[in-house]
Amino acid sequence: MKKNYRLWPIFGPIIIAVLLLIGLFMLPLNFKVSSKTLKEAAVSLDTATFKNQFLKKQALETKKTNYVPFFGSSELERMDRFHPSVMAAKYHNYRPFLLGKKGAQSLPQVLAMETILPQLKNRKVVFIVSPQWFVKRGITPPAFKYYNGDLADFTWLQHADPHSAYDRYFARRLVRLLGPNDRVGQMAAQIAAGHKLTSANYQWISFQRKFLIHEDQLFSRFRPNENYEKRIVPKINQLPKHYNYQKLQTLARGDAQRQTTNNNFGILNNFYSTRVKPNKTLLKGAEKNFSYLKSPEYSDFELVLQQLAKQHTQVLFMIQPVNSKWADYTGLNMQMYYQTVRKIKYQLHQQGFNNIADYSHQGSTPYFMEDTIHIGWAGWVKFDKRVAAFVAQKNEKPVYHLQKKFLQQNWQQLEPTQQNLKAFSRE
Amino acid sequence: MIDIVNSLPNLKAYGTPIYFIYLLLAITPLVISLYFGKRLVKYEVLVNIVFIYLMFDARNWPQLIALIAFLAWQTILVLIYFKYRQRANSSQIFYLWTFLLLLPIIIVKVTPAVSGQNSIIGFLGVSYLTFRAVGTLIEIRDGAIHEFNTGHFIRFMAFMPAITSGPIDRFRRFEKDYQKVPDRQEYLGMVAKAINYLFLGFLYKFVFSYFLGSRLLPQLEAKAMFYSPHFTWYLVGVMYVYGLYLFFDFAGYSLFAVAISYLMGVKTPMNFNKPFISKNIKEFWNRWHMTLSFWFRDYIFMRFVFTATRHKWIKNRNTLSSLAYLLNMFVMGCWHGLTWYYILYGLMHGLGLIINDWWLRLKKKHLKWLPHNKFTEFIAIVITFNFVMLSFLLFSGFLNRFWFGGKF
Repeated sequence: MKKNYRLWPIFGPIIIAVLLLIGLFMLPLNFKVSSKTLKEAAVSLDTATFKNQFLKKQALETKKTNYVPFFGSSELERMDRFHPSVMAAKYHNYRPFLLGKKGAQSLPQVLAMETILPQLKNRKVVFIVSPQWFVKRGITPPAFKYYNGDLADFTWLQHADPHSAYDRYFARRLVRLLGPNDRVGQMAAQIAAGHKLTSANYQWISFQRKFLIHEDQLFSRFRPNENYEKRIVPKINQLPKHYNYQKLQTLARGDAQRQTTNNNFGILNNFYSTRVKPNKTLLKGAEKNFSYLKSPEYSDFELVLQQLAKQHTQVLFMIQPVNSKWADYTGLNMQMYYQTVRKIKYQLHQQGFNNIADYSHQGSTPYFMEDTIHIGWAGWVKFDKRVAAFVAQKNEKPVYHLQKKFLQQNWQQLEPTQQNLKAFSRE
Repeated sequence: MIDIVNSLPNLKAYGTPIYFIYLLLAITPLVISLYFGKRLVKYEVLVNIVFIYLMFDARNWPQLIALIAFLAWQTILVLIYFKYRQRANSSQIFYLWTFLLLLPIIIVKVTPAVSGQNSIIGFLGVSYLTFRAVGTLIEIRDGAIHEFNTGHFIRFMAFMPAITSGPIDRFRRFEKDYQKVPDRQEYLGMVAKAINYLFLGFLYKFVFSYFLGSRLLPQLEAKAMFYSPHFTWYLVGVMYVYGLYLFFDFAGYSLFAVAISYLMGVKTPMNFNKPFISKNIKEFWNRWHMTLSFWFRDYIFMRFVFTATRHKWIKNRNTLSSLAYLLNMFVMGCWHGLTWYYILYGLMHGLGLIINDWWLRLKKKHLKWLPHNKFTEFIAIVITFNFVMLSFLLFSGFLNRFWFGGKF
């Protein structure tokens, strides 16, 4: 028997499905997630959470919990029982919202802030700087792309101002890192050249943003992982009931002592046997010629500062030490390292960012660090105390004075001797 | 305009969801005109050219040149042979011509085995085009093709939906479809099927294949490699996951190719028919990559058996078919590439087919008491499935990395 085919039964289901899908993405949805999901998101270190908006935004808007953004990189993954997230859960009335993992340098942080700018206004945040970011070429394109998301890009492009030196600089960096064939790269090239985007561009951007924001709202809730249950919760009860700084320091040193038994560097056993030992001979003297003195990262970092200043955000900066025994072994030039720190601090102080926890000289303090370049144990205890004091402080409107000269090549390439810095101040 | 051109290139066939939007938009005029009983031949040629051009993005232009040169070479050879065949039919000429048609693919397959680099005359889809050309040549020799139109032949060879990875159609069948326009009811039936195939393909390729191949497989491979070259159960995981990935990826692709052909009013044959419910390895090859296996069956297995019988090379029928299986599968293995694992994969299947025949004979003669029921069928399916999965592990080339660090 011949079947009788008609158009509607063939195309009807598709048309309905497409309409439903468009409806789902276009409706002005505004789902909220539970405070438990936010708690998990805050320590998930998930890349999509970092890039997108929904979870970050809701956490920073919630009245129930005071989430303090912690912008940083690989050190945030060192979740021993003295990690700020564990300590805060036990002793403090705020919760860190961790943003950044290995390789998240200044520019990814700028874009991570981009989607939560209103929430950063007048807020307190923590920003952890690693001198290792300031390598000769700055962030690599693959690392940047890994942390780069359309939603943040489009959000930035929507308000990027071709007359602003900061935006033009950022646009140039985007073109360089994403390539001229990338869609965002193409639009950034317009901004970099000092041209406004076309109205077609803006329509496209706002259409895309709508779509991406809904995608974010629908799917980001599934991103948080088991970090909170597995790596934070069990450790909360391993801390003493009442806060006592000296006692915590002693406990931290005890933990560290027990967990650094297979090497002479004071490095966590597991890290040593998996990451160091297999390449140990190769690493000897390997960092002799490392230099962090000249890098585009200095201007990228300036974008971070500009964004924080614009929102009048109160920031506590932390500068990470390097393990001095390890530095001896790899031949890292400590003179160079201290000069790097001086250059970073100069850039901060010059513009009014005076709240700096400078731990650069703690690299030889026993059990301050968990491995080669990451703070842990005793270091976390000390840092946590500083953060708690910072959060407890009365809110005050910070006064920053940005200077465009930090965007320039001659700052990026400046050798930070006392003399050079003095000369640069007069420029 | 430059924006549009820049954002278009590198449209790997059926690679991303956006590709389907471009493709379906482009063929909408064809669909509408077929609905009204007309073929837009010129527009179709244009769509074909544009999409083939887009498959090779700017960096791959040598591939595009290679494709054009290859098409010219094959077309001229087949045309000359068609003219020649009207007057004479010498075996030598036929074999020479077959060799000339195969020459490009031989170069393409041998070059990497010898020099470790890909040949410059290669392009995506070279082997599928060779199959189509050689098949046509054989049918001309058989006297099955009476008319030969060069333009039609090129259209058959470079039929866009199936150009890169099949299914492998036959010239006569394709022409028959093309000469007539399906009536409205028939065409709507094809459209209904096409839509079903498209969505099944989406499920296969963008859900199953993606999850298996891009999520699960790399993790399992890394875990298995961690203990290489020592066996762990991770290797078994790699085997099953790769095998299923291969099926969903290729079957998904084939569904797309068939669906788009249907929308263009051409009934390109199906490539897969639930291969994993096969009860023996012979049945498997009637269900897996069917257009390829039928091509090999018709043009290698059968031809070899006929020739050998005619010349009385081998008396025993069973020995003859065993040899034919081995040859058939060996050639198929070589076609995949001249590496130890592809060739071994071919021989493994050749051997599997021989053992299968032997078992069927044994059962018929001496094991009459063996029951045949749902349970034995189930056992047969399990054995066949696992044999196939094992052969796919070989096929994947993973063992080459696992045992030899990828040296061979």
